[in-house]
Amino acid sequence: MSAPTCETPATIDADVGIVGAGPGGMAAALRIAEAGLSVVILDEGSRPGGQIFRQLPDGFVHANPPAEPPSHDAGHDLLHAISGATVRIEQRATVWDATPPRGDEPGRLWFEQGSASRLLRCKAIVLAPGALDRCVPFPGWTLPGVITAGAAQVMVRGYGIKPGARAVVAGSGPLLLPTVTALASAGVKVVAALEAAPRIAALRALPGVLRSGARLREAMFYARQLWRTGVTLQFSHAVFAAEGDGCVQRAVIGKLDREGNPIRSSAKSIDVDVVCTGYGLVPSIEIGQRLGCKAVWNEARGGWHIEALSFGATNVERVFAVGEIAGIGGSEVAIAEGHATGAMVAGILQQRPVLSALRDRATSVRRAADAMLRAFVVPKGVFSLAGDDTIVCRCEDVSAACVRDAARLHGDSLRAIKMGCRAGMGPCQGRMCTPNVQAIATRGSCQQWDEPVAQVPLKPVRTQTILSAPTK
Amino acid sequence: MSESADVVVVGGGILGCSVALHLATAMPTARIVVLDRGPIAGATSGRCMGHLMVTPDTKEEYAFSHTSIRMWAELQEEIGGFDYNPTGALYLADEPEDLELLPILQKQFADCGDKADILDQKQLRDMEPGLAHDLPGALFYEGDGVVLPMTSCSAMLRLGQRRNPKLEVRPGTEVTGFDGVGSRITAVRTKNGVIKTENAVIACGVWSPAVGKLAGIPALPIVPRAGNLAITAHHATPILRQLLEVSYIRFAHGAAKVDPWKTDEDKGGHAVNMQPQSAGGCLIGSTRQFRGFDTTLNRELLHRSLLRAQRYAPGLADLPIVRTWVGLRPYSVDKHPFVGPWPQTDGLWICSGHEGLGISLSMISGHLIAAQMTKTQCEVDPTSWLPRRIL
Repeated sequence: MSAPTCETPATIDADVGIVGAGPGGMAAALRIAEAGLSVVILDEGSRPGGQIFRQLPDGFVHANPPAEPPSHDAGHDLLHAISGATVRIEQRATVWDATPPRGDEPGRLWFEQGSASRLLRCKAIVLAPGALDRCVPFPGWTLPGVITAGAAQVMVRGYGIKPGARAVVAGSGPLLLPTVTALASAGVKVVAALEAAPRIAALRALPGVLRSGARLREAMFYARQLWRTGVTLQFSHAVFAAEGDGCVQRAVIGKLDREGNPIRSSAKSIDVDVVCTGYGLVPSIEIGQRLGCKAVWNEARGGWHIEALSFGATNVERVFAVGEIAGIGGSEVAIAEGHATGAMVAGILQQRPVLSALRDRATSVRRAADAMLRAFVVPKGVFSLAGDDTIVCRCEDVSAACVRDAARLHGDSLRAIKMGCRAGMGPCQGRMCTPNVQAIATRGSCQQWDEPVAQVPLKPVRTQTILSAPTK
Repeated sequence: MSESADVVVVGGGILGCSVALHLATAMPTARIVVLDRGPIAGATSGRCMGHLMVTPDTKEEYAFSHTSIRMWAELQEEIGGFDYNPTGALYLADEPEDLELLPILQKQFADCGDKADILDQKQLRDMEPGLAHDLPGALFYEGDGVVLPMTSCSAMLRLGQRRNPKLEVRPGTEVTGFDGVGSRITAVRTKNGVIKTENAVIACGVWSPAVGKLAGIPALPIVPRAGNLAITAHHATPILRQLLEVSYIRFAHGAAKVDPWKTDEDKGGHAVNMQPQSAGGCLIGSTRQFRGFDTTLNRELLHRSLLRAQRYAPGLADLPIVRTWVGLRPYSVDKHPFVGPWPQTDGLWICSGHEGLGISLSMISGHLIAAQMTKTQCEVDPTSWLPRRIL
């Protein structure tokens, strides 16, 4: 009996395989290609750039290009360079399983591309898969019209879509500003911009900003943009609820106390059709875990991230981690780490020395990013925004009350809650709710979630993809 | 620091939870404590399929399984919340020679006073339109069903607490030993303290031999038997009923000769079992292999069962798989579970070793423990399951 196959499975070989064509992956690829090595990037998008330097689909141009911060110059440079380099990029490629290189055995990256099941074999692996938006549930957050900060960027920059007419942007961290800017430049009226952290957070973030010229230029750009749109960032504020009949029509906003608990008496309703929410990013670590890389906890870097040592090396030989997977840090960090790691990978494969200046630069921008992001740790009180019937796990329709009940009966570990109410067992594989379930079960007192377990497939893929995967 | 309880149940899987429920029902004022070293339903009961299966191999097995599945229906009536779905089961023939197995199985049901229907190709298609059109036929048994095991554990504990508010559940509490005076249990020692008790039930699945050793039981013959599983995303399931290959009966509950101690030689069985989940996903099992406590995925075996599953339900090819994993069945070497008192130690009870039928048989097993402990009438003669047979 043979399985019906759609296409002959194809195995490709390269010196280096890179996961993700965002800033980190592109920078690493350029260094490796420059050294004369063959390099293949596997990327889920339809064009390179990652989330931050997302390009419109092929053949489209923006009629009204959205305003771009200075950091995007680096993105344009990378995209330009990569289009002229001998870097092979496999687009729309979903990596679903991986094994590390061992001795003469190549590392393996299995991926689904359309209806094809393919395999990349390589001597070294660089992981640059990026991050995911972090949401904190509040009543009404599952209504159409509530979108993440990342989704707002995707709609405006990636597809030229205006998500609505009037928006409130809320959450925490440096991503709120680009979101306001993107929405405003798409013609959305931004009614309010709410930062959950107190004003002092901005002051604490300052040293991190001042230590980096690029980040200072970035901050100046956003200050100008905010001024132009007439929006002031309100600190210690959040969206308490989104309301509407079938879609967002209003948002209830208000003040938070020092711990982030909503001060209900300050609540007021504003008319909006878009609620844009983002409490920072969570590193996508599952592929690193699958390869045996050690994950460590650092709240400022978005929680669990792969431990990257000097030049992006992990505890697994010839497996490297750059950018967000090694902790949230932004595109400047990803590019610097990509260059350092790319040079090191080429150095190892060609047995050449590597400039320590590249590593020093990566270390220094990473430190500056850490200093800034430490100021925007999610305040624990916001986990009490969710009411009993607020959905926490969207895939399985699990409410906050169910999560709390499961924790009471089964235990308050991530796995126990999952077993007690199915939270995290749906098609997003727990990516959305994992950072929240334990915090919601314990009403914010347990903010460090357990390290999730990576299971195969790393992303959902067709049964046929698994069955027809090349085995060698 | 020490406390006391009337009964301590060690193990918070489906069997420990059922024992707790039935004890709480039989002893509504007793102090009952359920301990688990990890989460409730954190081990085998959180990694298995949810088959409610009536097995007609012998009249005795039929009595156990049929009574248990009736109790499951009662549990659903009383509390629900565990995705109970009485789908019935289709035993599918693949090759024409499999058709010969259908009347054999049908006769087994008939001998037990029950009934199952043989379906021809057209009747099968009418019943399950998502199946491959060239399948020659099947046997349909109405009495089987599907549940979600993890939330079944919660439901049992919730109902138990409703009937006896002194039923206490303590995940994250590892048992380190048992105290005894003469041949009598006096306490259960845990990492978090000592619980004085005259009754302890070991319901630790594949870990029962290890926990049994702590209580002085020399070698409980229970061995892990691994199964590889996969589940599809829940936007679509190609099937509406519990599906089994009819050749499954050759592997699963008896016929095939296996030596559980020779892990290296065991290539594993792989007769497929598919279950529709009420959330919309399709759960695919069930491979069988002895290889100790190793829970790394065996790709080859999983592929074999996926291929079989796809043979029966071709629509599966395009459905996304969201997760694959391995669960360990507690295989009892003589193929009967151990349910009852341990004759050498007063107050020590065992409820374990149900292999792939733990979910199905959990209700009757919990009942048998509670009935024997309170010396009340058992619904089924418990003799063949008594642990004393290994002495």
